[in-house]
Amino acid sequence: MTIVLDRISKSFGQVEVLKTLSLEVNPGEFLVLLGASGSGKTTALRMIAGLESVSSGRIVIGQRDVTNVLPKNRDVAMVFQSYALYPHKTVFDNIAYPLAVRKRPKAEIESSVRDVARQVQLDQLLDRFPRQLSGGQRQRVALARAIVRRPSAFLMDEPLSNLDAKLRGHMRAELKHMQHELGIATIYVTHDQIEAMTLAHRVAILERGVLQQLDTPANIYNRPANLFVAGFIGSPPMNVLEGSLTQGRFECGSGSFGTASTSSGKAVVAGIRPEDGRLTAEGSGHLAGEIYASELIGDHTLVTCRCGDATVTVKADKDFDGAIGQRVGVGFEPRVVHLFDKATGERIS
Amino acid sequence: MSVLKRLTEPKSLETMSPLGSVLVYGALIVWSLVVLFPLYWIAITSLKLPIHVSAGPVYLPYIDFMPSTHAWHYIFYDLGNDTLRPYMNSIVVALVSTVLAMLIGSMAAYALSRLEFAPRLASILLFIFLGGVMIVAVAGFGVPWWIAAVVALAIFLLLARAVGRTMRASLGNGDILFWIISQRILPPVVAALPIYVMFQSLSLLDTRTALIATYTTVNLPIVVWLMYDFFVTIPKDLEESASLDGASRFAIFFGIVLPLARPGLVATGLLVLILAWNEYLLALFLSSANAQTMPVLVAAQNATRGPQWWYMSVLILLMILPVIGLTLLLQRFIAKGLLLGAVKG
Amino acid sequence: MALTSTAGLAAAPAERESIQDWLDRQAGRLFIMPAVVLILGFSIFPLIASAYLALSRFKLAPGGYTLTFIGTLNFRKMLTGSQQFHLLGTFGTITLLGWAIIAGTAVLVAWGTLRYLRSGQVGIVGSIGRLITFATALALAVMFALDLGEGGQLGTIATTLFYVVGGVTLQFVIGLGLALICAKPIRGRSFFRVLFFVPLMVTPVGIAYTFRMLADTAVGPFAPLWRWLGYAQTSWSADAWTARFVVLIGDSWQWIPFIFIVLLAAIESQPRDEVEAAQLDGASGWQIFRDITWPSIAPVAATVVLIRAIEAFKIIDLPNVLTNGGPGIATESLTLHAFIEWRALNLGGSAAVAYMLLFLSTIACVSFFNFVVKPMRGARA
Repeated sequence: MTIVLDRISKSFGQVEVLKTLSLEVNPGEFLVLLGASGSGKTTALRMIAGLESVSSGRIVIGQRDVTNVLPKNRDVAMVFQSYALYPHKTVFDNIAYPLAVRKRPKAEIESSVRDVARQVQLDQLLDRFPRQLSGGQRQRVALARAIVRRPSAFLMDEPLSNLDAKLRGHMRAELKHMQHELGIATIYVTHDQIEAMTLAHRVAILERGVLQQLDTPANIYNRPANLFVAGFIGSPPMNVLEGSLTQGRFECGSGSFGTASTSSGKAVVAGIRPEDGRLTAEGSGHLAGEIYASELIGDHTLVTCRCGDATVTVKADKDFDGAIGQRVGVGFEPRVVHLFDKATGERIS
Repeated sequence: MSVLKRLTEPKSLETMSPLGSVLVYGALIVWSLVVLFPLYWIAITSLKLPIHVSAGPVYLPYIDFMPSTHAWHYIFYDLGNDTLRPYMNSIVVALVSTVLAMLIGSMAAYALSRLEFAPRLASILLFIFLGGVMIVAVAGFGVPWWIAAVVALAIFLLLARAVGRTMRASLGNGDILFWIISQRILPPVVAALPIYVMFQSLSLLDTRTALIATYTTVNLPIVVWLMYDFFVTIPKDLEESASLDGASRFAIFFGIVLPLARPGLVATGLLVLILAWNEYLLALFLSSANAQTMPVLVAAQNATRGPQWWYMSVLILLMILPVIGLTLLLQRFIAKGLLLGAVKG
Repeated sequence: MALTSTAGLAAAPAERESIQDWLDRQAGRLFIMPAVVLILGFSIFPLIASAYLALSRFKLAPGGYTLTFIGTLNFRKMLTGSQQFHLLGTFGTITLLGWAIIAGTAVLVAWGTLRYLRSGQVGIVGSIGRLITFATALALAVMFALDLGEGGQLGTIATTLFYVVGGVTLQFVIGLGLALICAKPIRGRSFFRVLFFVPLMVTPVGIAYTFRMLADTAVGPFAPLWRWLGYAQTSWSADAWTARFVVLIGDSWQWIPFIFIVLLAAIESQPRDEVEAAQLDGASGWQIFRDITWPSIAPVAATVVLIRAIEAFKIIDLPNVLTNGGPGIATESLTLHAFIEWRALNLGGSAAVAYMLLFLSTIACVSFFNFVVKPMRGARA
């Protein structure tokens, strides 16, 4: 089913945590709300769930305006960061709860719970209590409880953040597979850009309650809509250089280079991803600088250079060997340079 | 010097010095005697014959005197119903009022811990004003109380919205919580007189109903206070999850929240039960023959059988044995319950 | 009461709703209503009614009773008139002790005022609050000085304050001592803890009788001791002060456990590593208590004293059963005073006494909360 957020806003007293957010989630789509803490992403999710009231705007699920409908009547399921398992109920009763409060027949509950439990590999653990389960198993119980009644949408609030790194990677893959199988529209909140990029069909990036960009992961990475998105996505983050544009040529204190643009006379910010740059001998390349630090990561080395006032990080070969303080140049292709308006932060195409 | 040092200094951080442990255990034993001796004295006095008491103190059964169950026999057989009726009254009143106070208090505490309330200050002032006018009308001018109540309520409902609109100041949850808890400061004797008059006009004086209603109210502040602290510690996620799973507020409260607050319920319930069981002043005002409770019965012995301590001791034992039994059974919970309230304050 | 629920789960309905959904939206109000109604009915309404009663004369009449509004006569009678001896006590000539009490209180009040004026946060509410507290303290000091003077006698206010201040102090000191001992690494800790807890559960009326038995100089368990000391023929209940002390001891026996159990938990939850660090630094037991334990339990200690004081103001069971208020009115508390007036069918006077108790305990407890509990909590937080 489609989920439509129509210019929804949320204020707590004087503080506006979400400003006229509009977006549409298509049937079967996996949409990730990505942002730092305080960006309003969790508030948005809780508004869709009905756990927060809507200050203004409309929320439509399917054909139904649910803006003022009680959470229990919205037919959405939510997985919480803490899993929110009922500690006094067994795994079976936890999973069965959504069906039990709807007074479904016993036999139906029994078979649905067993089906779902098999799906998430919990069928051996149905008699246990949540405190007897590992983190990953609890996570599965939470998922099973969300799946069991086939809701019209899934809402997930950082469901993987309480798992250790290894398990998180594993569950991420499972989650993606399961969502694909079920084909239920999913809205997933996270602050982890890797989760966002790997899971999502589309990513919505929020900052201070304002939607920055809504697009596929590839487009967000390749064509960030503004400086915030450019800095937020990518690790290590994009290098930014302040300077001016003259007839498509970018000039700053430590050098100048041509870009894909043709405009001029504007204060701009140029962005170059670390993997798009390369280190060159002193005097060559587009920027001049000296090595500030070099860190061997494994399959590559991160080299941080001071270029005038700016710091530029470049991904180099894993056998790169340069001393701190060594003077180098940094070079790149003109087409990899992202340009942003310095005043507004918007992308200049 | 070295001997003194060895006596006064502990060997390690986890142990005490020899002298220190002598003092500590000495103090513990002395205080144990202070606690136990009064209880021991009642116990043996209940087994004494009058002669054992009046001829001066005897201390050890079988050695100083032959224990006898004559006092127990008298209280249970000769007095029979005169003992059992107050005993039943006490049990019924304490249990029912505890259950009610726990239910009503927990519901209020839960609402205060989870939902936001904003009663208008102006409405409250209006309510108090109308209440005062109503009492003057009833007491001073002889208006029937139910007419006054209906008229006052009608005026309140009519004016509340209007007044609330012009004066916007409102109170929050903290104020309501404080208001409920602060009822504990109110000395019961202040409320006892009007409650007496109220029950008299309802012909409920000297009934269990009157005592139950009053005890429920008197103990509400404690329940709200302690249970509020318990509810605050229950993660909100659970309830939000349940509400998305399709449960109503009532289903959430009774199916999720109360089971999780069980330790708190036991502790608070026991405390309230004991307070109701031991209550004296209000029972003195509100009951005479029918609904008389044990504390009143025991206290009344003062006049009728002052020096007949063997009977008194039986009655006192009857009162305190169940409570001490419950305490020993559930003491872990009570300590926790008291603590949550007092330590977090 | 217009309770407005503004939580996330409530808003104006958009679709047609079932009754269940309506109930769900109103859940907050429905949950809190019974409590509010009960308290209004059995607490607030009686409070207002009591105020009216205190200002009237109650008379039994054929087929019921009559209430006549008489203004503040009930209060004037007790404060300046024929009942003054009962409430305020019999005034004697102030002795040196009396002057010392007045002077001590005056110094405290002056110090408090000075501190407040220098704090730079003088406001209307704070000033009025302090005015009430200080005026009450001075008035009570003068009353005590007069009562304790030659030919003077304590009234029920003074007796109640004696139970509250004396009782709470005694209970706090012993309760704290026991808690400190039980916090040490001793054997049978849980046994002592349970044992020391028991008196709290015993019916106060029962305690009163038990202590009457125990205190009997002729046939009580300590009779041989009294005989040896030559007191066998004297009765403690005939002397005002011994009678008050017996009441105080009975009350303390019951309430020390309460302070003990709360302070013990507070001591046990103090940061362990701070104590260990201090021990390694070679601090003495007293230094550890003063520098680490006390600061960490002070907020709890202040709170527990407040709770205890609130309850102590209401004392009636013990003096009523132990001594019946006697000798004379020597052990009569304010609640017992009100009850005796009620029994004499002087309902107006009874309500007036009850109101005096309400004023006194409210002023005392609110002052204690503002000037002791709050600063102590603030210092820790």
